[in-house]
Amino acid sequence: MLTKFETKSARVKGLSFHPKRPWVLASLHNGVIQLWDYRMCTLIDKFDEHDGPVRGIDFHKQQPLFVSGGDDYKIKVWNYKLRRCLFTLLGHLDYIRTTFFHHEYPWILSASDDQTIRIWNWQSRTCVCVLTGHNHYVMCAQFHPSEDLVVSASLDQTVRVWDISGLRKKNLSPGAVETEVRGISGVDLFGASDAVVKHVLEGHDRGVNWAAFHPSMPLIVSGADDRQVKIWRMNESKAWELDTCRGHYNNVSCAVFHPRQELILSNSEDKSIRVWDMSKRTGVQTFRRDHDRFWVLGAHPNLNLFAAGHDSGMIVFKLERERPAYAVHGNMLYYVKDRFLRQLDFNSSKDTAVMQLRSGSKFPVFSMSYNPAENAVLLCTRATNLENSTYDLYSIPKESDSQNPDAPEGKRSSGLTAVWVARNRFAVLDRMHSLLIKNLKNEIVKKVQVPSCEEIFYAGTGSLLLRDADGVTLFDVQQKRSLATVKIAKVKYVVWSADTSHVALLAKHAIMICNRKLESLCNIHENIRVKSGAWDESGVFIYTTSNHIKYALTSGDHGIIRTLDLPIYVTRVRGNSVYCLDRECRPRVLTIDPTEYRFKLALVNRKYDEVLHMVRNAKLVGQSIIAYLQKKGYPEVALHFVKDEKTRFSLALECGNIEVALEAAKALDERSCWERLGEAALLQGHHQVVEMCYQRTKNFDKLTFLYLITGNLAKLRKMMKIAEIRKDMSGHYQAALYLGDVTERVRILKNCGQKSLAYLTAATHGLDEEAEALKETFDPEKETVPEVDPNAQLLQPPPPINPLDTNWPLLTVSKGFFEGAIAAKGKAGQMAADLDMDAPGGEGWGDDAELQLDEDGFMDAQEGLGDEGVGREEGGGWEVEEDLDLPPELDLPAGAGGGAEDGFFVPPTKGMSPTQMWCNNSQLPVDHILAGSFETAMRLLHDQVGVVNFGPYKSLFMQTLSRGRTCYLGLPSLPCLRSHPQRNWKDCGAKQGLPAVGLRLSDLISRLQQCYQLTTSGRFEEAVERFRVILLSVPLLVVDNKQEIAEAQQLITICREYIVGLTMETERKKLPKDTLDQQKRLCEMAAYFTHCNLQPVHMVLVLRTALNLFFKLRNFKTAAGFARRLLELGPKPDVAQQTRKILAACEKTLTDAHQLNYDPHNPFDLCAASFVPLYRGRPVEKCPLSGACYSPPYKGQICRVTQVTEIGKDVIGLRVSPLQFR
Amino acid sequence: MAAQQGDVDELFDVKNAYYIGSYQQCINEAQKVKRKYAVVLDDIKTNSPPELQAVRMFAEYLSSQNKRDAIVADLDKKMAKSVDAANTTFLLMAGSIYYHEMNTDAALRTLHQGESLECMAMTIQVLLSLDRVDLARKELKKMQEQDEDATLTQLATAWVNIAVGGEKLQDAYYIFQEMSDKYSSTLLLLNGQAACYMAQNKWEEAEGVLQEALDKDSSHPETLINLIVLTQHMGKAPEVTSRYLSQLKDAHRAHPFLKDYLAKENEFDRLVMQYAPTATA
Repeated sequence: MLTKFETKSARVKGLSFHPKRPWVLASLHNGVIQLWDYRMCTLIDKFDEHDGPVRGIDFHKQQPLFVSGGDDYKIKVWNYKLRRCLFTLLGHLDYIRTTFFHHEYPWILSASDDQTIRIWNWQSRTCVCVLTGHNHYVMCAQFHPSEDLVVSASLDQTVRVWDISGLRKKNLSPGAVETEVRGISGVDLFGASDAVVKHVLEGHDRGVNWAAFHPSMPLIVSGADDRQVKIWRMNESKAWELDTCRGHYNNVSCAVFHPRQELILSNSEDKSIRVWDMSKRTGVQTFRRDHDRFWVLGAHPNLNLFAAGHDSGMIVFKLERERPAYAVHGNMLYYVKDRFLRQLDFNSSKDTAVMQLRSGSKFPVFSMSYNPAENAVLLCTRATNLENSTYDLYSIPKESDSQNPDAPEGKRSSGLTAVWVARNRFAVLDRMHSLLIKNLKNEIVKKVQVPSCEEIFYAGTGSLLLRDADGVTLFDVQQKRSLATVKIAKVKYVVWSADTSHVALLAKHAIMICNRKLESLCNIHENIRVKSGAWDESGVFIYTTSNHIKYALTSGDHGIIRTLDLPIYVTRVRGNSVYCLDRECRPRVLTIDPTEYRFKLALVNRKYDEVLHMVRNAKLVGQSIIAYLQKKGYPEVALHFVKDEKTRFSLALECGNIEVALEAAKALDERSCWERLGEAALLQGHHQVVEMCYQRTKNFDKLTFLYLITGNLAKLRKMMKIAEIRKDMSGHYQAALYLGDVTERVRILKNCGQKSLAYLTAATHGLDEEAEALKETFDPEKETVPEVDPNAQLLQPPPPINPLDTNWPLLTVSKGFFEGAIAAKGKAGQMAADLDMDAPGGEGWGDDAELQLDEDGFMDAQEGLGDEGVGREEGGGWEVEEDLDLPPELDLPAGAGGGAEDGFFVPPTKGMSPTQMWCNNSQLPVDHILAGSFETAMRLLHDQVGVVNFGPYKSLFMQTLSRGRTCYLGLPSLPCLRSHPQRNWKDCGAKQGLPAVGLRLSDLISRLQQCYQLTTSGRFEEAVERFRVILLSVPLLVVDNKQEIAEAQQLITICREYIVGLTMETERKKLPKDTLDQQKRLCEMAAYFTHCNLQPVHMVLVLRTALNLFFKLRNFKTAAGFARRLLELGPKPDVAQQTRKILAACEKTLTDAHQLNYDPHNPFDLCAASFVPLYRGRPVEKCPLSGACYSPPYKGQICRVTQVTEIGKDVIGLRVSPLQFR
Repeated sequence: MAAQQGDVDELFDVKNAYYIGSYQQCINEAQKVKRKYAVVLDDIKTNSPPELQAVRMFAEYLSSQNKRDAIVADLDKKMAKSVDAANTTFLLMAGSIYYHEMNTDAALRTLHQGESLECMAMTIQVLLSLDRVDLARKELKKMQEQDEDATLTQLATAWVNIAVGGEKLQDAYYIFQEMSDKYSSTLLLLNGQAACYMAQNKWEEAEGVLQEALDKDSSHPETLINLIVLTQHMGKAPEVTSRYLSQLKDAHRAHPFLKDYLAKENEFDRLVMQYAPTATA
């Protein structure tokens, strides 16, 4: 039993679950009705109007109503939304035991100690029927969930089934209201016809306390004071006792059917709840309380939940866990559903059953540990008695029919938990709580002493997390020592991030996130149960509680993403998708809005560009975000969310952004703002803003002082004037003092009647005239002329050396990302304009682009050719014949090794290296080069394609050789070991190996592009060089099918055509063009070039050259031919236009001025050495590799195209595939 | 080589770090242990002069090219006499020197006398270099009987698995992978993983691993050699390969790979002479 929630209260006599919300009503012996939220574990409401115990309680299925019945004989109908009793139904004459709503009709069924059962219409608030017949207290009466039946239980030792179809017909037919009225008045007269007793079930030999219908089958369960639970069956005509469940040793208070399983639950005054198997009629489980007698049971209509009321409260519980056992690896989810292990591919959503589990355990699989290396699983099963727990080790079948999966033999042993600790090791926590390490055969490899621990969790290779009562310890299994410990109570689940850099420890109400070293990074407390979690790809932990999906950053920030109706178990989070399993083990995908946590994550990681992007593009506004940003110390970010000027102003001040603050202050234009801005600006030395603030607030004193300290004498004088106008004597005088303007001071003093001061000032400063004039005004009788202190010193302010016009210099602080970004936004318009101006300039560039486009087009076509079937495995048939001579060699050293056992050590002879095998297994030159057998490789190349000059092959040989062996390090300070990658490594065994070639046809084809580009840009010699490398590489290919063989040949042809053409063109350019004959030769060569098979781009260029040369030579007829060919290729408009012009000119005089050795209509091959046409039918010698043609005298020489082969040599032919040897 | 203190091996971290090639960590750990377990070290000191001498001999051999012949001759003499088979260090050092000398017979004969995991591991390495996978497997079985979970056994298993090839390659990969998960990824482990990947023709995967190795040390010879292999198999431009090759030539002239390479070049040049066209222009 899993207790979900417990309350403490007075004795609970009645219980009812809300069908949708996580609520349960409990009616108490003290008259109170409690409404609980069992998920949040809070008391939502209390209804205290009954006088004395309340025994009947029931939620309405649709309406916000519930009904209660008490010992005060009252039935009350309540509205929980309005939180009050709507009305009271009176009529019963004794305690009311149960009250139930009908699932469909507006009826309430009540059972009472007055020996009657009554049916009430809660809409008309009247009693519509009274069922009489029991002759003792009626303890319970319930409607049938679908039929017109009522079952009742009474202390008269009977259970009765009543047929109420008459009542339904009468009440719900038209004109029902009248009959209803009649029904009430005629309860005694007509009641019998409305509801008749259908069956009387006798069998209990004490009073029956409870009776209930099965939700779907024609069964009834009852519990009685005879301590028995009885199951009854009924049909249309009769009802009979099926069986009795004995076990309770005191009065059975209540018995119900499990809504979804073949189980019966009963509870009793013997302080126990018992679970019975319905078909076997045996007790399955017993749950006892120490002191409390049980009084009532309630089953949730849809969920796997029950409630039981006892002497001091109630419990909400379920019988078994509903968490599916699952494990995630990469894109695969493995989970247990029914008796199958299923595999879900997250990417393709393909869900298949991969194997059937061994049956035999009555408990569901508790947890799973998956081993990707061995494709094996450990499934742990917990028994009620923990000591009987077991685990199964299965190896998942490689291929399985999802409809009818295999049921492989698993290995079962006892143990609480089993977890993989390495590829071929797993740890088992056995029932003695000691740790065993086992291998794949389920054999104990070693026993490890561990600190006390009650549960183990996966912690990467070689480690485990051990849980004890108050913490989790990271334990190294190999070293047998604890590496770290963290305190957290009762961790239930552990979720590692994909790279195992972080771990989330989930307890019932807490989450702790730690790093790999188990150092706590943050702690989160949840009021609701934590269910599951997974790490998303950005390192945010997404977790679920019973009713929320939430996120947690490793910094401890957490919050709600969305609410959930029912608990789910997160398996993976990718982007906006949360993959999860629900309680029915159905894989589901929920969509979430990750903006909030992404935003916070970006902030924490200081990825401000992301932040800004989100600020601009996501709807992330709101006080909470602003408050969050302010709290976390990002006022500058918050600034961008705020439209309200007041907030903007204070945020700007907070982050010292005077400009923004000024803007806001201007918009607000409030005195207090200007004052605050002034203060802030003064602190930054931004005295221009300070000045503006003082001006706005008319703070003349401060303004004057500001001008003084900044040495702005002109403005200071102005201030003096203003003070004078404002008649601000003191200000006026102060300004004069600041300015050192003595005359003004004297004048002021004089004007305000301070004659003696004026005189003294004048006299002291040596303004004798003024002093005299003032002295005159003194009345000698009344006033005395003050003495002038002869030692008086002049008080003159120092003149400013340099007035301060600019603000105080500020430290150059790199502008915050946000200020920059915001500023840039304003300037974006200008930048766009700049671009436009630039645009027309790029035309020449556009030309090139077009050319490239053409080539790309070609490239695509080539790639298409090359992509097919590269790297396919070779058929093994051919190699088999080759290894006949191997076994004897191998046998010999093996024998020598055996001799060592006699004590005298005989060093073994050298074995057969894979490279030797390669040579034996292949006739392809490249395999021999890779094997390092240059001698045989050369012979093969010589025989196959006639290579006689190997010099140019050197770099190819060396490169090829160097890719034949990889290195790995053995023991320290020793030379490294070699490994030899093989192309048929999967199935070659020890002797059939062939090297991985590493040279692909497609690579060679793609290298053509470079050559084409070099050709286009006119770097012919380089191009020829590269074409030649490609050409020479072709015999070093290995391909798999005929098509590729053909492609390889084609590649040779392309290279040859280009090499011949480009060599000729290079040659042509070197020739002199002084005489006519020389010019004629040049033209001939240009003409021959047009007969090389080139790409259209290049052909256009070649034809243009030929066209120009022939036009100049006045061979208009041939030129016209070139022009037409050129136009057929569809050149660029300007080229086309020009060509057309030339063509038109040619067509005027369609003749050739000179006779050339060129006949465009007579097909010819070009001699690659002498560059003369070899017309068809004339003898020709060919290069065995490139196929280039030569006139016979060149036979036996080195081919000009390949520079390695002998012209006219008799050879086997190109061999690049084992297919060619069959 | 190390003192065993009951069930827990105090020098575990040191040895482990050494085997997987994490030398810096090895030194750090060793210093840590030194502080904590000075007693253990003292222990070693009092009864270990011959062992330390052996280490010195090997160090001398590695450091001075010209003294090598003398050292080997000296060693031959020592070996001719009866050797203390319990002195594992001496056996190892002698084995190492012979192995460097390519005298595998002597190396094996020497190592055959020891029974420690280290000796067996080195035997396996020598056997593998002789392409005697069959014997290496036998030796490995002995190691596994002694301690299957020891780091050294695991590593040796990986070596043998690479040599066996086929499905075993994945196992070998897992061993390297597990160790880097468990301790830290080192050049040794990374190159081991790369070798497994490449043997399985998983070039893209190997690239990731080798890139990591290259980031750790840009002139590590084995990494460079593997990159030379890899870049070609991935169809990169020949220039990329040449760059790694010249980097290797610059920094590690004496590496066996280069020795072989140069020998092969000479062989090529010699063989070229055997061919000529029948006519010259």
